[in-house]
Formats: sequence, structure tokens, C-alpha cells
Amino acid sequence: MSDKVRVKDIGKKELPMLSEVRPEELIPLPPPYDKVEDLPGFKEITDEKKERVVCNLDGVIASAMPHPESPEEEQKYVDMFVDGLKKLLSKENNWTFLQPLTLSLEYCIGCQTCADACHVFEATGGKEIYRPTYRSEVWRRLVNKYVKPGGKLIAPLKGADIDLNWTTITRLYELTYRCNLCRRCAQVCPVGVDNGLIAHELRKLFSQELGWAPTELHDKGTELQLEVGSSTGMNSVVVKDNIEFIDEDMTDETGIETETPFDKEDADVLLIHNAGEMLAWPENPGAFAIILNAAGIDWTLSSEEVGYDGVNYGLFYDDVQLARIAIKHSQAAQKLNAKRVVMGECGHQHKAMVTIADRVLVGDLAVKRESFLPLLEEIVFSGKIEFDPSKNDFPVTLHDPCNIVRNLGIVEPQRRILRYLCPQFREMTPHGVDNYCCGGGSGFAIMSGNNYEDWRNNVSGRVKFKQIIDAFQDQPGPEVKKYLCAPCSNCKGQIRDLLNYYGALDKSGITYGGLVELIVNAMVDVKEPFIKWEMF
Amino acid sequence: MSASTLILLSYVLLAIFAVFFVLKSLKMARMPVHVRWELAPVPHEKGRGHYGGSYLEDAEWWTKPREKDHVAEATYMFKEILFLKALFEHKRSLWWFSFPFHFGMYLLIGAVVLLALGALGSVTGLVGTDMWLFATGYPLLAGVGYALGLLGAVGLFLTRMVEKGMANSTTYATYFNVLLLGSLFGTGLWASFSVSDFSGQTLGFIGALFTADMSVELAGILKAHFLLAFAFLAYLPFTQMMHFVAKYFTYHEIRWDDEPVEPGGKMEKEILELLGQSPTWAGPHVRADGKKTWVDIATDTGAQEAEK
Repeated sequence: MSDKVRVKDIGKKELPMLSEVRPEELIPLPPPYDKVEDLPGFKEITDEKKERVVCNLDGVIASAMPHPESPEEEQKYVDMFVDGLKKLLSKENNWTFLQPLTLSLEYCIGCQTCADACHVFEATGGKEIYRPTYRSEVWRRLVNKYVKPGGKLIAPLKGADIDLNWTTITRLYELTYRCNLCRRCAQVCPVGVDNGLIAHELRKLFSQELGWAPTELHDKGTELQLEVGSSTGMNSVVVKDNIEFIDEDMTDETGIETETPFDKEDADVLLIHNAGEMLAWPENPGAFAIILNAAGIDWTLSSEEVGYDGVNYGLFYDDVQLARIAIKHSQAAQKLNAKRVVMGECGHQHKAMVTIADRVLVGDLAVKRESFLPLLEEIVFSGKIEFDPSKNDFPVTLHDPCNIVRNLGIVEPQRRILRYLCPQFREMTPHGVDNYCCGGGSGFAIMSGNNYEDWRNNVSGRVKFKQIIDAFQDQPGPEVKKYLCAPCSNCKGQIRDLLNYYGALDKSGITYGGLVELIVNAMVDVKEPFIKWEMF
Repeated sequence: MSASTLILLSYVLLAIFAVFFVLKSLKMARMPVHVRWELAPVPHEKGRGHYGGSYLEDAEWWTKPREKDHVAEATYMFKEILFLKALFEHKRSLWWFSFPFHFGMYLLIGAVVLLALGALGSVTGLVGTDMWLFATGYPLLAGVGYALGLLGAVGLFLTRMVEKGMANSTTYATYFNVLLLGSLFGTGLWASFSVSDFSGQTLGFIGALFTADMSVELAGILKAHFLLAFAFLAYLPFTQMMHFVAKYFTYHEIRWDDEPVEPGGKMEKEILELLGQSPTWAGPHVRADGKKTWVDIATDTGAQEAEK
């Protein structure tokens, strides 16, 4: 299959696949991860499966779309897609992003500066369909032809013709889930065009108009969260039980009596965790409790529905769901009369609640919101807790979650803590606001159906994995235990999958975790090591 | 083409440019406020812009004074506009052509200012066109501008043709735009070398535009050049070449717009109005009916349906 894919090829029904990912074509990884044959390949999508669901982009399935039952049904969705294109560009339907989107539609000069900044494009050695401008140019041509007056006449004259059919929209739908929305491309664009935003807006179109969204984000994500209170499926009783168990474990492990307050009114801090932490990484909420109690912070969790889970997958694909969840978070804080809401170790929660929701939670819904990082920095340097940095005397590097660093500009507090508490802290290259996405951003970390997890591990996470290995090149062997600090739940999920997939604990001695775990590990009052090196 | 036809056509083309340039710019400026979509680094963050930090690095940031470094922001834009800093840092191969292309245009804008001043001075009798600034400075500036612009246009045209990614996304319209500008630079350069009284004739023509003097004399190549120049201006507002205006908004109103909502402030009022609109999204979970507002929809979490 040729990779000379042209923009207009997206609508070509005669091509069974637009492109294909082959592991041997991906950029090489450093030893001992450089042998393609040593790695599990991509799961094969069977012919039977292909007969049931759409698989026409790159052989990978993010969202298993059933085939339409009739040509009429195909046309219905194509017509809805055109309606959605128009609504994306209307004030009443999309005031939230109208200016950024319109400017990105009209003023891309096609210089391709963005392509070199994209980790997905880079990982594949420059596969055309993953070029940040590919999906944007498809969308641009569709708008120009099917939305603008006279577009059907002008498009061929401009050399920008494109067909709109079931194949086009299903390929475009899949393609919106090949971008992590990390916005590294937007950062380098000389004009300020944002291809990540375009992918985001297309996801919105599919969700808000056609009702199409990956199950993990919608049915098992925002819908479940709004229905029972958490995308983990936990209701408030289960959450309180889990936290009680975590407190008991923390008390046993550290010898420090640990108690997490719930529903305390008028507290200074309402802490909202990503509830996934309670199940996948219970030591994280446990470590928060130890630190906040030791520092004498007046804090609480909420058991209000949605108020105990900071997840807001609406950020990735749907403004309506985003707003509904953000409002629930705000109402939980108001009910307790908390002075401020502090986001736990979850990047997208930060972006959804601290900045995006700033222009949604207006009037009575406005509550004070901030990141956990400045609060931790204040605590660590306040002198209220005694630390012994020698307890963290092992190589540590830091992953910068895009939603906290590039999108919110919170860069230094976490570094000041790590420089103080971790004698062997070293940066990745590049880092800070120039970081690379973990490859799990924008919901990918929780999407694992079919062969999507293989794509994540091989493609979207490839550059990050290479960065991690490179950061420890001075002590590459497994005999030296190393810690990758990733202060974000979704990033941790992706990094867990990456390290497992490549066997990095066994081959390189690399484990991962959050920031609070390192802080507790360095506390003098905690006698036993808090960080476990077998935490997968 | 007679001088009178050229002058009348120039008025029409300039009027189209002026009207649509203003309309397009106003359209960009008058878009509704959007949700925050800032992107680090934000250079006006005092003491932190250089590493990409923001005021959100402070605990209880709302209790701290917000200091903005307007000099850092202006310096950033100056480097970006004049030297195309982002392209220099992230795509050097293209910068070698894009920089002379744009810098040539900047020199030509300077030359046009001199041309207009010289023509006005001549028409009003306040200054003579034989002043060094107009007789030598202006044609020198224009000549260098034309040469750099032409070099850039040729380089950009060829790069777009041969570089895989650019070739795939470049439409006929974009090639036409580069060709049009290349022709503009080319005819200008040719005229500046071939017309012996280049400075006098161009000053005379612009003066004739001010006074509607239909008897002005102009060499053929200069007629072609001015026609191309005014046609380009009339065409400009309808193209992606308006990116130089868009760039103000993409930087200042999107990337660097980190302004929190002030309770009771102007932005909050605007947002409350926007939330009062009725969206028509057809997705089943949205539950829009064309009457429900954004507030109705955002506060409808499906509990009512579940109860039924």
C-alpha cells in the first residue's frame, strides 16, 4: 500500500484502507527495545470483525462503528455531518470555540511546521494521514465545498475538490482519535493555527450532532459519571468505603494514623481526585491524606454525586457533557461552602475545571479553583513536615502532563519540589512546556478495545517511551531502580501500559508513580519505604 | 491601457480593498468571547514567561496581584513579525525563503509610505521629488524589497511543489497567490531597472491618484505593475493571505488570553448572554429542542428522564 495519500483520497471507497501502520516502519527505539521481532505485534482485526464494524482508515479501530444497514442510513449520517459542519461555525451552537476555530479554518498557510512537532507523525516516520494538517485540510475542503456559498463550483477550480460520503465521514471520525490534542503543533505554528483544536471540534461534531463517540468516553465515561457519580462506576457509598480501606492501609504501612475527612463544611480545601486513583493507584489518595494532615491543612473530600470524581471526559469530545460535569463539581463545592477547590493529580481535570470552565461557571456557579501543585509546594517548603531527601536517592525523571504544563503554564512548582527532595532528579529532553505527550492524552489512555492499545503503545506513546529510556541512559540496566514521576492519572495509565508492553521494569528497572508518593517517601516520620518497586 | 482607465480602475480596486479589509478584520474582532484556550508560553507573565510559567503557579492565585510584562509581549511580537521567529526556530528550511519574502514586503510597505509622502509633498508643493529620500532612498528601498520578495516567492513556489507535506495540502489557489505576488515583485524589479525615471514616474502616478489627473504619463511596465499591485490588494481580503491580521487574534485573543472572569464584569455579562442562546445540536444526549438554552441543557443531566 502506497503512502502517497492525497487529501481527497479520504473519500475513495475503492481503497479498503487509506493507509496502514507497520511496526517495522516506526522510528527505532534505543536498545534493548530496538528489535521489532521481540515485541508483540498488533492484534489482527479478523475479516469477520471487519464485516461487522467499520475499519477503513489504518487497520486500527478506536471506536467500533457498525456498518449502516442501508444506503439511506448512510446518507442520513452524511446529511447530519453537513448540518454539524454548519453548526460548528455558528455562534448559537459553538460560541465556546468559534473564534479559534474560524481562524484555524481560514488562515492556515500550509507551511507544515506543525508536522515536525507532532509525536504521532514523528513516531511513524512521517505517515501522511497522521500529519496534523491532513485531517484539518480534509475538514477545510469539506467546509469550503459543502458549507460555503458556491463551494461546489469553486472547489474544483481551486484544486480542493473532495467527496463527501460514508467512507469520508467514518475515516474522518477515526482520524480524530489519532491526535492526542496535546497542542504541541499549535505551539510552533507561526500563524497560531491549532490543528489539535480542529481534531477536538470534529470530535464534538460527531458526538453532538451524530451521537458518535467512543464507548469509553461517552457511555462508560461521561454518561456513567452523570448517572452514578463516577466514570469508574463507584457511587458515593463505595467511594467512602474505598477511602476508608485506603486510610487503614496507609496507617498500617506508614505507622501514621491516616484519616480522610468527608463532607466537612467550610473547609479551606475541597480536594477532588480522579476517582480512578482510588482503584488503580490507592497509594496516591493515601499519600495526599498523609501530607495534608501532616501539614495541618483544613481539607475534605466530597461524597456528593460527581463531586468525588474530578474526571471530565467531556473535555475531549463534547462541550455539553463538559459543562454538565463542571457544574456538578461546582455545586459540590458550593454545598460544602469550601473556600477553594483543589484538583488532584489529574491533568485533564485541571484543564477542564481551572481554565475551560472559567467561562462556563459564571454567576452563582463561580468557585475558586486551583491546582494541587502550588499547594504542595507551599507545604513542602513550609517547614511543617520534616524531610530526608536521601530517602529518595535514586534516579527520578519527570513527565510533564500537557494539560497542566503546556495548557496551564504550571511548570516550576513540581520541579522545585523534585530538586529539593530527589537528589538524582534529571529532566527529559525536551521538557516543560516543550514536552511530548505520553501518548494517552485526550482519552486514549482509557481506550483499549480491538487493537487500539497496540497503536497507543507502538505509535502515540513511542516518542515518550524513547524519552523515558533516554533520560536514564547513564544507568540503563535493571539493577538500578528508577522512578518516573507522572503527576497525572491518565498519563500514569498510559505510562503503565507502555512500561508493561516493553517490559521496562525488568529490562531497565523503571517504575512510575505520582508526585505525592515521592513526597511521602521522603518524610522522616514515614519509617518504611513508601515507594514499592513492584507496583505494576 | 490609457492612464485614465488605469486611474479609474485603481480607485475601484483600492475601494474594494479598503471596504473588505475593514469588514474582514471587523469580523475577526467581533467574534464572541470563547472559552479559555491559552497555550504556554504566555510572554506577558512577568518573571515566568521565559519558561512558560503562569500565574496559576501561585497558591490561591486570585489573592495575588497579577503583573503583566507588556514589554516582553511586545518584544516577542516584534521578533515574530519582523524576523518570523517561530519559523526560524521550528522550520529553518522554509525560513530561508519565507523571511526574504516577508521582509521584502515590509521594505515595500516602507517604500509605499515614502511614495505616498513624496507624491503628497509634490502635489501640495511642500517638498520636491528631487529630495534624496524620494529620488534615491525610495527606489533603493523598493528595489531591494522587490528583489527579496521575488527570491522568496520563487523559493516558496518551488518548495511547495517538491516538499511532500506542502505539496499535498497546497491548492491551485495557493500556487496562484504565490505566483501573483511573484509577478508583482518581478514587474516591480523589472520596472525599477528598465524605467529610467522610475522614481519620477511612480511619484507622478500616485500624485495623479491624489488629484485625479487623467493626463499622467506612465511606462507600460509600470502600468502593468500598478495594475497588479491594486488587483492584489483588492483580492487580498478574500484569501488566507489575511493571516497577518488573523495572527493578532490567534496570539493575543487565544494563545495569550488567560484573563479570568471577573464576577459582575463585562465578560461575565457577555457569557451569560451567550449561555442564553438555544443550540440545535441533534445528538440524542444533548436533548436540545431549539428552545432550551445552553443553561437549560448544561443543567439537564438526564435525571428527569431516568425518573420517568
